[in-house]
Amino acid sequence: MKIERFDLIIVGAGPSGLSAAIEAAKRGMKVVVFDENARPGGQLFKQIHKFFGSKEHKAKIRGFHIGEQLLQEARDAGVKVELNATVVGLYQDREVVVRMGEEVHHFKGDAVIIATGASENMVLFDGWNLPGVMGAGAAQTLMNLYGVKPGEKVLMLGSGNVGLVVSFQLLQAGCDVVALVDAAPKIGGYGVHAAKVARTGVPFYLSHTIKKVEGTDHVTGVTIAQVDNHFQFIEGTEKHFDVDTVCVAVGLSPMSQLLKMAGCEMEDNPKRGGQVPIIDDYGKTSVPGIFSAGDVSGIEEASSAMIEGRMAGVAAAEYLGFMTADEKKTELDKLSTSLESLRQGMFAPKNRGKNITETEEGIPISTNLLSKGFVADDEIERYPGVIHKAGIHPVIECTQNIPCNPCQDACNQGCISIGDNITALPISVKDSKCINCGMCVASCPGQAIFLVDEDTGDGKASITLPYEFLPLPEVGAKGKALSRKGEPVCDAEVVKVRSSKAFDNTSLLTISVPKEYAMKARFFKAE
Amino acid sequence: MGRISQHPILGVQNEEKKIVTFKYDGKDMQGYEGEPIAAALKANGVMVHRYTMKQHKPRGIFCAIGRCTDCVMVVDGEPNVRTCMTPLKEGMDVRTQYGVSDKPFDQQ
Ligand SMILES: Cc1cc2nc3c(=O)[nH]c(=O)nc-3n(C[C@H](O)[C@H](O)[C@H](O)COP(=O)(O)OP(=O)(O)OC[C@H]3O[C@@H](n4cnc5c(N)ncnc54)[C@H](O)[C@@H]3O)c2cc1C
Ligand code: SF4
Ligand code: SF4
Ligand code: FES
Repeated sequence: MKIERFDLIIVGAGPSGLSAAIEAAKRGMKVVVFDENARPGGQLFKQIHKFFGSKEHKAKIRGFHIGEQLLQEARDAGVKVELNATVVGLYQDREVVVRMGEEVHHFKGDAVIIATGASENMVLFDGWNLPGVMGAGAAQTLMNLYGVKPGEKVLMLGSGNVGLVVSFQLLQAGCDVVALVDAAPKIGGYGVHAAKVARTGVPFYLSHTIKKVEGTDHVTGVTIAQVDNHFQFIEGTEKHFDVDTVCVAVGLSPMSQLLKMAGCEMEDNPKRGGQVPIIDDYGKTSVPGIFSAGDVSGIEEASSAMIEGRMAGVAAAEYLGFMTADEKKTELDKLSTSLESLRQGMFAPKNRGKNITETEEGIPISTNLLSKGFVADDEIERYPGVIHKAGIHPVIECTQNIPCNPCQDACNQGCISIGDNITALPISVKDSKCINCGMCVASCPGQAIFLVDEDTGDGKASITLPYEFLPLPEVGAKGKALSRKGEPVCDAEVVKVRSSKAFDNTSLLTISVPKEYAMKARFFKAE
Repeated sequence: MGRISQHPILGVQNEEKKIVTFKYDGKDMQGYEGEPIAAALKANGVMVHRYTMKQHKPRGIFCAIGRCTDCVMVVDGEPNVRTCMTPLKEGMDVRTQYGVSDKPFDQQ
């Protein structure tokens, strides 16, 4: 049996695996990346929303564009990616067994990096395996990779970032999302992700879960019911929805089987999503020459997966003598700083499971946002992004400490301030002059910024909001303004529509509403 | 169900792809060359891909990334083909799978 040898073998061509490969190839290593998929990129190409973070993390760029940049960088570095290649075995001596089509091949790596990502969790309920029930990832694959609607009427189970983001993407694909349901009493994902779904009119049912999915050959309906503190159904709280699809987004689990097979020391760590290898800060496992990076060593995000990948690539390069210990230290210190800045704020891995009731600034968190998906009228005024003044100015409804600051970078007029700590709440600066360029609105990954003029004369106010749906309303279109909750509150007329390359497919809709609704109207629905 | 003809972020999807004709349970159906068979079936409103061996329960697309095997069908005579991973080709013969056969249970 012939065994081909590589300096470095990487399993998984997602953001972490590709990043690792780039770093190693740049240092002259002979690298191969295996991926079981027909396309490289892992989860990244399904992410069509703008990413959080700061400039160094490629914030405000859409996930699939980050994927394209990463692939280009990998090609430029001469990385070899073998697709349709499933790694089925990894042994302590770093022998890698790969199934390609009908054949099984053996390879040997002087170092191996496992970057296999995560798989979706499932919950069991009556009818969970009926056609029409699918993972949120499956829905995302169908609509964002293949242009096929997962269903017409969809109920989403799970309010973490995946559930929230996929719900929004379903709306963008033209599906009707009838409800967003979660057994937990609080929304798990970013408030800004929830708010952009809620304002379109999708109702949130927290402390609820699926009792039964109905249908004989495929899904025709679903019944949810409220649960008590012990997750037991409360009699008489059932609600029925006619749907053809139920999407499940109840978390991800690291796909760490290969690491276990190779004899790496493992631990069960709920903060990292389940069975994960015990690693040092740069991905080194207990088995010499085997490293891991990305979701497989702890569920996080693509932004952090890319940095972890680069770290593992650098660590492997130094392990094999392709760079000196000093060079390694310089590189890793840089990457650590960047990674640390992402791992801050309310949603940081270290804060998982904690009950956070105040922001870093000492402002109470909106309880309505956590239970209903939107900040209530009597809560919104307490945040530093929400101010009142004459003329057009940004109203920034970003109320939780998340690692994100593109809004500050977007404004060259000094109207928005976050400071050096990127998790701080954005401040709408009173003493500044907004020139209505719209860059902040389009750059905000949370779609949380509105340009408000509380008095445009003749008893009206104008509100400019981000809009990522089709058809795009035209100037003169009449309809209703919706509240943060997604309820019609008053008549509205579209007075301006802006699209530009710099806005990257986020259009800016300016609506005119009666002046008393300046702080209530947050979405537009055409008649 | 159906196709997303115009997407606010992705624009016109599948624009440059070739339309091919394949057979689904003996009937002519169309899809784009190279897309997963499962995507073409979904776009045509097909929900059931197979029935389980023992309890004869229907199954359809579940993970869409080749992990769960819920989507397997009989393709060109071969059973257990994961339709979410297999590219569609002109003239393919795609059939509902009953257990591991393309014949309904009462004819097996
Ligand atoms: C709906 C949704 C929204 C998200 N939004 C964001 C966001 O806004 N910002 C953000 O930063 N992150 C986001 N993420 C998270 C992000 O996509 C993941 O954290 C990231 O993709 C993890 O990267 P990875 O390289 O570790 O794994 P993956 O991207 O999962 O890649 C792993 C790769 O390994 C391959 N593989 C697995 N096992 C094998 C094997 N045995 N043999 C060969 N190949 C194998 C897989 O095919 C896959 O291509 C989101 C995720 C989802 C699902
Ligand atoms: S519209 Fe332009 S000037 Fe006004 S706050 Fe936003 S980025 Fe600054
Ligand atoms: S308001 Fe600023 S910090 Fe908040 S999500 Fe938008 S861009 Fe990020
Ligand atoms: S849908 Fe899971 S393997 Fe195809």
